[in-house]
Amino acid sequence: MAGNDGLEPPPLLGKWGRVYTAVLGWLAALIVLFLLFQREFAP
Amino acid sequence: MRPLDWYVLIGTLLFVVLYGMWRSRGSRSMNQYVLAGKTMPWWAVAFSIMATQASAITFISTTGQAYVDGMRFVQVYFGLPLAMVILSATAVPIFHRAKVYTAYEYLEQRFDARTRALVSVIFLIQRGLSNGIALCATGIVLTLILGWPDHIAILIMGSLAILYTTTGGAKAVTWTEFPQLIIMMLGLVAALATAVWLFPGDVSFLDAVAVAGAAGKLKSVVFSFDWNDRYNFWSGLLGGMFLALAYFGCDQSQVQRYLTGKSIAQSRLSLMFNGVAKVPMQFLILFIGAIVFAFYHFEPPPLLFQRADLARIQAAKAEYTPVAERYDAAFVERRQAAREIIDARRQGDPEARARGAERYRRAQGDFEAARGEAIALTRKINGGRDYNDANYIFLTFVTRYLPAGVVGLIMAAIFGAAMSTISSEINSLATVTVIDLYQRHFKKDAPEGHYLKVAKWATVFWGAWAMVTAELGKNLGALIEVVNIVGSLFYGGLLGVFVLAFFFQRVGGTAAFLGVIAGEAAIFATAGLTKVSFLWYNVIGCLVVIGTALAVSVVENRLRWGKAA
Repeated sequence: MAGNDGLEPPPLLGKWGRVYTAVLGWLAALIVLFLLFQREFAP
Repeated sequence: MRPLDWYVLIGTLLFVVLYGMWRSRGSRSMNQYVLAGKTMPWWAVAFSIMATQASAITFISTTGQAYVDGMRFVQVYFGLPLAMVILSATAVPIFHRAKVYTAYEYLEQRFDARTRALVSVIFLIQRGLSNGIALCATGIVLTLILGWPDHIAILIMGSLAILYTTTGGAKAVTWTEFPQLIIMMLGLVAALATAVWLFPGDVSFLDAVAVAGAAGKLKSVVFSFDWNDRYNFWSGLLGGMFLALAYFGCDQSQVQRYLTGKSIAQSRLSLMFNGVAKVPMQFLILFIGAIVFAFYHFEPPPLLFQRADLARIQAAKAEYTPVAERYDAAFVERRQAAREIIDARRQGDPEARARGAERYRRAQGDFEAARGEAIALTRKINGGRDYNDANYIFLTFVTRYLPAGVVGLIMAAIFGAAMSTISSEINSLATVTVIDLYQRHFKKDAPEGHYLKVAKWATVFWGAWAMVTAELGKNLGALIEVVNIVGSLFYGGLLGVFVLAFFFQRVGGTAAFLGVIAGEAAIFATAGLTKVSFLWYNVIGCLVVIGTALAVSVVENRLRWGKAA
């Protein structure tokens, strides 16, 4: 999963493993943002 | 709807259908008809994947879900990016290299024809049911809201989708979904912007958000764990991941979308785009529902959102009048409590905020109690039939309050969303019918033109089937849940067999076949005998398939060794 599996590389970030890490990082960032948002407007 | 709305709706629908037919001209081989000749760029595939997933139910029901239950439904999608990464690394290259038209064709390469046929039939049952529920229910809601004659919306959506899907196949599906998703996004942004604009002059956007927050509607992440709780972080992350793995990895309506990609990299990029965009998109849709909830603090919401049921209880005057009076009084008190919250927030006074929150909690409790009485009265008048109007909330808001043109745009978005989902699904149902069943088991060596003709007739059949089964969608509660529940009854079994195919090289056809049957039995037993949340069905089904197949494999090996000895 970490490399390119001998396949066409992605147009961004060079390796598919890095693309996958970026997507999962984005998910983590969204969850943190949602938590901050709900805390800001909590009853 | 006003004349401008009709112009926008009809113009948009015509544009989408003609655009799809123009882009798909010349689909004359099975490869072109089923997989668009594997020529699609990643961004078109990505839009197609998202549009297929975002049905009309997404608009109608998800917003209502947020209004009723808050935004915690977004957690269902937390597992989706994880699933996109796993599928991108595993299923995408495997399916591309296997050079298959359908995911189930691969199962024969890996196991046997029996397993392929079983899984194909499970897919046809599950997708055939879901498609019918989605189309009919959407049509019924539109019919009731717009006051059209019965089934007109169903006929329009179904017929248009059949028209361009039958003529252009997968290419038409993919190219029509591109403008459809853009129209959907425009509709969503227009709905949010006009909702904010419609608040009283002294209530700002942040004030509205604060009111929604005071009611707990903005709670979107819940870490406490409960097997029976449908929506928490853990069920969303793990159960949602399994649901997404099954939907995108084993459901032909999605697999066929990314198999149209020019290359493995293009297909992977389309899934990555979905992994990035899906969670914020769902958050936005739910947020619109929360804002509509806040809006109804300053404009009185109807006692019931289903007009026919409201008229029915209004006719029972003696019982209706006191309930309506309590509801009106509770609305006034809740509005004042909401204003107190807004004032306290502006002053930045924590004590005033706490007092306001306490007053609001009481007022909201009274308001919900009054509505609960109206619902109980509806049930009584309807002979005990369950009542749920979550699917009517957003469209009631749209048709009552939004300006001319915007209503037409949102209706076009809803029609487009329904059509994009239907077209993908009838396209995939027809593909599985022809490739996995007809060509494999009934007529093996016919000319390509024959299969193309059968595929077109199968498309018409499945489209007609969806329209005929529309009645199933009535009174099923929040439809977004129903579709996910129906999917979860079957996806665990499908996912399990693909996990076996990809990762358990020693498991053979008989073990996989028996594993799928055991997995499905386990899911139906869980659904029928326990209260476990539907998100866990996928996990349970998948694990039972794998466990059973491994056990059967061990027995098979022992028998083989016994014979050899």
